Amino acid sequence: MNTSLGKLWDTWGITAILLLLLAVAPVVTPDFFSLDNAQSVLRESAYLGIVAAGMTFAIASGAFDLSVGGQLALCSVVSLMGYAAGGTALAVAAALATGLACGLVNAGLITRLRVPPFVATLGTLFVFRGVAYILTQDGPKTLPYDQIGSPFVKIGGLNVAGLPLPFVIMLAVYGGAWVLLRRTATGRRVLAYGSSPEAARFCGISATRLRFFVFALVGLSVGIAALTYITRVWTADGSAQDGFELKVIAAVVLGGTSLKGGKGTLIGTFSAVLLVSVLNDMLVSQGVPSAYQRIVLGGVLIVALTIDGLRTRFAAPGSLRRAVTGQGGRTPRPGLAR
Amino acid sequence: MADTGTPALLRVDGLTVEFPGVRALDGVHFDVAAGEVHALVGENGAGKSTLLKVLGGLHRPSAGAVTLDGAAYRPRRPADAVHAGIAVIYQEFNLYPDLTVAENVFSGREPVHPLTRGIRYAEINRRAAELFAVLGVAIDPTAPVSSLTVSEQQLVEIAKALSVDGRIIVMDEPTAALSADEVTRLLDVVRRLRAEGRSVIYVSHRLDEVFAVADRVTVLRDGRHVRTVPLAETSTDELVRWMVGRDVEALFPRGDAVAGDVVLELDRVSAGRQLREVSLTVRAGEIVGIGGVAGAGQPELSQVVFGALPVTGGRMLLGGAPYRPDGPADAMRAGIGFLHEDRKAAGILPDLSVRDNLTVSVLDKVRGALGRLLSPAAESGVFATYRDRLAVRATGPDQLIGQLSGGNQQKVLFGRALAPGGRLLILNEPTRGVDIGAKVEIHQLINEITAEGAGVIMISSDLPELLGISDRVYVLAGGRVAGHLTGADRTEENVMTCASTGRRIFSPEPVS
Repeated sequence: MNTSLGKLWDTWGITAILLLLLAVAPVVTPDFFSLDNAQSVLRESAYLGIVAAGMTFAIASGAFDLSVGGQLALCSVVSLMGYAAGGTALAVAAALATGLACGLVNAGLITRLRVPPFVATLGTLFVFRGVAYILTQDGPKTLPYDQIGSPFVKIGGLNVAGLPLPFVIMLAVYGGAWVLLRRTATGRRVLAYGSSPEAARFCGISATRLRFFVFALVGLSVGIAALTYITRVWTADGSAQDGFELKVIAAVVLGGTSLKGGKGTLIGTFSAVLLVSVLNDMLVSQGVPSAYQRIVLGGVLIVALTIDGLRTRFAAPGSLRRAVTGQGGRTPRPGLAR
Repeated sequence: MADTGTPALLRVDGLTVEFPGVRALDGVHFDVAAGEVHALVGENGAGKSTLLKVLGGLHRPSAGAVTLDGAAYRPRRPADAVHAGIAVIYQEFNLYPDLTVAENVFSGREPVHPLTRGIRYAEINRRAAELFAVLGVAIDPTAPVSSLTVSEQQLVEIAKALSVDGRIIVMDEPTAALSADEVTRLLDVVRRLRAEGRSVIYVSHRLDEVFAVADRVTVLRDGRHVRTVPLAETSTDELVRWMVGRDVEALFPRGDAVAGDVVLELDRVSAGRQLREVSLTVRAGEIVGIGGVAGAGQPELSQVVFGALPVTGGRMLLGGAPYRPDGPADAMRAGIGFLHEDRKAAGILPDLSVRDNLTVSVLDKVRGALGRLLSPAAESGVFATYRDRLAVRATGPDQLIGQLSGGNQQKVLFGRALAPGGRLLILNEPTRGVDIGAKVEIHQLINEITAEGAGVIMISSDLPELLGISDRVYVLAGGRVAGHLTGADRTEENVMTCASTGRRIFSPEPVS
């Protein structure tokens, strides 16, 4: 495949598939574009999407944050406790501060104790969930029904010009994240570090500062996401959103961000999040049981990555042999369209 | 020996190996008799490693023939070499650190119990012990390889070669990382192998070892065969002349340097065990070369100056002021540029464009009107400046750097090193792996940089380059400065003497 076409696919491929799916959606689900349904799809995609924006930075820097599920549960629980104690302002502050603190704990483990990100965040996934369980030993934290008029609840329920507020927040997060990744020195350093940590060191990029930035950013994104999540479901305990981390990573990878680091696309992540939500909505409307929905999501992920893998393989000289034998070899990679 | 009528065990004829843009071997011939230790010498880049890789089945020749025991020998993979009885021991060992010595020796060929298919540990341990007895060394076959010293690991590699009844054992720089005692022991082992009737191809920079252990020597230069002689009929001086044998001045023009003020001064700087009490100065407009054999502390020296390796003793002065960089970012802010010797692993950012690869060293300076935001226009401007100045051949700023040739990648990295200000440039192996055209361009560029007043530290294992464009040369050996050569003392013979024999040569300080 030629280079420019390859690059175009990297950025817009998943978006094209999303548009294709949107074109088919009304055929499968006649009321797909009804205001109610559209708003519901967008509202539902927000918390996944917001965390996926943060995770795009982590994966582009060559790391995972497996703890986001635990972070979401903890942020939600602490936020509800904050609301009970001090209303909307405290609830918002508690969610953001908890997310940030979780991110700093992760970064500290990785940089100070030199635990690889994968292991450190796998550990904190359990720790954060564990803390959330302890805080909800006496039963899940909930928003009482008499609070329906509270500004806090409106975060999840309000529509702005027809768009659900969680989706508007998600749009803002993606706008900010895009500028951060593409138009700031820090964003460039994230990509440089993900591409080659050793070369980045000799470009004056501090691994410690970069890790703190990335993991704090992920934590902050979880804090924001928790606000849109908790005001939708009104209740949280340690088991909230079990398996969330893998859904987030699946969306980022589906969007085209390289698992090897060095390449991140927020447009791709955004489209992938919507793709997953639309697909889910279509399956639900067809009465497909949720167990099958998981299988479909897994299948989509595998198919997308297989196509991507084949494309990068066949774009390189000598690639046919490697694709057949499955051996990488030590040949240089000129002309590799990645 | 072959030239006394003994039939050759291994014969190499007209061997040519071509890589894109380079002819690594050009019609090389030599032969090895049974029970002979045959030394292979030459400068870096002479083609020794390529020759070994052909014998080991890693490279395939584009022309020429190798015959083993009268039959054509054409290994297509390393296993073919092993089956033919040729064991190549590369500088990078092929050992599993977590397995035992005996498991490594018999790896992939373990005798197993006919019923349980379990490995017969008693047997492999006993047989490994027998092999070490043949070599005259004591190594515990049940010890994990990770617990061994480098020299012991080498002996495990040799035992591995013996275990498959290797008739020809090829050793690539076997003593590079060994202490003097260990070298003595290794040379004894080589003599024992010869006494066993096995042949050894011994590649080394260290001519004293070659004279101590080898029967004949073949000298390679620039991929060509220069001479094969019995060691009894030659001398160190003669070998060095054959290895060097080239008009150095013609290839590397360098005008008279106008050295300015001292830019950098190192005063007994140490860094762990790699660098010990190194003192040197670099003046503005000067190219200071750093030479020595591999592992003598050159990369460590460059990294200490760039703040990438902590100083454990001594002090540095930059422009006369105390200089204690806390990381490469500090060094870059002070106007120091750095070129890493390993372009692929620690130079290029493979997923990024040529423009981004270049501006990564000046991200603080390519900001636009919006303050903290990067300005694509400013970045493209920086790219255009260096593309023109360095004659980078790229399709555009957005091309991925991995798609450029080695020489063009190197030019982009030069731009990255120059962009922070060009007060001092640290260049590690600036022309490694680039073709001859790019090499000349890069040398001209280094000349220009110094003409503009920058000081340059150039580390090069390419002796003609080191001597051809450096104004002064420091030679490192074992992490220490073993020589400082200026003026007419800058000869390959002097560099090699300082680097390989431990003799120290210091040119008289110029009166200034």
